[in-house]
Amino acid sequence: MTTTLLASTRRIFELALGQMLWARRSVLLALAAGAPVLLAIVTRLTLAGGTAFVQINGRRIDSEAVFGSAMSLLYLRFIVPAIGVFYGTSLIADEVEDKTITYLFTRPIPRGAIVLGKFLAYLVCATAVVLPSAAVVFMVMVPFGNMAALLGSFVRDLGVLVLGLAAYGAVFLWAGALFRRPLVGGLLFVFGFEQVAVILPGYVGRLTLAHYLQANTTSVVCLLLVTIVALWAAMLVIEHREYVLER
Amino acid sequence: MIVSAEHLSKWYGHVSGLNDVTLSIPAGVTGLLGPNGAGKSTFMQLATGQLRPSAGTVRVFDEPIWGNPSQYRRVGFCPEQDAFYEHMTGRDWVAALAGLHGMEAAAAANAAAQALEAVGLLDVADRKIGGYSKGMRQRVKLAQAIVHDPQLLVLDEPLSGMDPLMRRRTISLVRQWAARGKSVIVSSHVLHEIEAMTATVVLMHNGRVVAEGDVHQIRALIDAHPHRVSIRAADARALAQRLLVDDDVSSFRFEGDVLIVETANPDSFYSRLTDVAASGEAGSIEEVSSPDDNLQAVFSYLVKQ
Repeated sequence: MTTTLLASTRRIFELALGQMLWARRSVLLALAAGAPVLLAIVTRLTLAGGTAFVQINGRRIDSEAVFGSAMSLLYLRFIVPAIGVFYGTSLIADEVEDKTITYLFTRPIPRGAIVLGKFLAYLVCATAVVLPSAAVVFMVMVPFGNMAALLGSFVRDLGVLVLGLAAYGAVFLWAGALFRRPLVGGLLFVFGFEQVAVILPGYVGRLTLAHYLQANTTSVVCLLLVTIVALWAAMLVIEHREYVLER
Repeated sequence: MIVSAEHLSKWYGHVSGLNDVTLSIPAGVTGLLGPNGAGKSTFMQLATGQLRPSAGTVRVFDEPIWGNPSQYRRVGFCPEQDAFYEHMTGRDWVAALAGLHGMEAAAAANAAAQALEAVGLLDVADRKIGGYSKGMRQRVKLAQAIVHDPQLLVLDEPLSGMDPLMRRRTISLVRQWAARGKSVIVSSHVLHEIEAMTATVVLMHNGRVVAEGDVHQIRALIDAHPHRVSIRAADARALAQRLLVDDDVSSFRFEGDVLIVETANPDSFYSRLTDVAASGEAGSIEEVSSPDDNLQAVFSYLVKQ
């Protein structure tokens, strides 16, 4: 009799969470989340001085608009995909590369629990860093008097961030379960194909995850669907695949 | 039979890891003996369900093991590779893996403490694995294999890198395990190590089973070939002086702080080495290993027969 999927997932989650706190990638995560905060503080101080301003398409924009741009350009187009690629691809591939997967594969647990537990640990870790970072940027950039009015859309933005982290993480976890060294392919997809595809006319953009990083019902459903299908595919791969560690 | 293989083969692309092996392993302790590349590790990975057979079948406790994780309740595996979650303490790591057997936190912690005590690591259980010596790392691997009290222990080169005292303790642990009615499959490329644990041996070479049966039948053949032992010690020269007083040492040389001894009588030599280590009179002995070319000549001879 195997330990149930739920119980095994919980234990893998606990184990993986501890590992992530010590992983070298955590430094990247901290830098990725810390950079916008620093940028926001510098921008805010510069704008507050009244001697400088930000222009987009020749129009002078205020700090709220700068925050909106930071959210879409920094968080949704760069930080979320980057974290998804770097973490997602490493969740299984690192265990195989480090040859520690043996210790998990020789336990009476469904292999799918390894996928779910590691994914949940990643999501908790990533959201615990990215959401506070976005919140600090919001507080720095948006004037106090305007916060209440913008809070609703900000909360929706946070929801999109979480769904984006989940979708990118799940897709690249699946890639990590399928391929031995998936990072290069993942980076090409996110910073090559996606960046070009979203600005191309026609339907090509719909083949990207970036297209669905919006706070509307269709996008939310699509992101959830991608996450679930990618996790299911990763579980299927890991259940049936053998990982040759030596030779 | 504990493990039975029927025409079992495993290929890694075009490379054969195991070639048409038919083998039945009985209860008790069985040694897999062969040089590197003989197929020992491949057989063990097949017998622990980590690899899928390319051809043939392997059954453990009369059930298939590939894709059958419920079997892992009854099997403990100690891999050869030196791979760990380095940042974890020995206690946390072993307890976490015990938890994957369905034990609750308190039971897992208790089982981990018992396993670590059995391998002599309880006093350093709260240190990070990254700071362990090679011998300690071998022992903590052994602890994770026994933590759930399995019916079958599969140990891939478990004595590699251990100091003489821990070798003795580990050999004793394997014997005790068998005395409790459990089974062990243990691999090594050193006959002396296997012989200290069991007389039932499977000889492997180039992915095939060359011979199986009582170890004493091949003993004379192996003894006819000089046996090399590599010893890393705090004071290799003092150790050499201490060891040279008996005539079981044919020759010796130094490679840095490593003493390389050639002996025609491994039994006597290993026994004496353990006594010297226990007495501490020649300083501490950190690591003992035996290169697999000791066996290579013997196996080449056997295969030609």
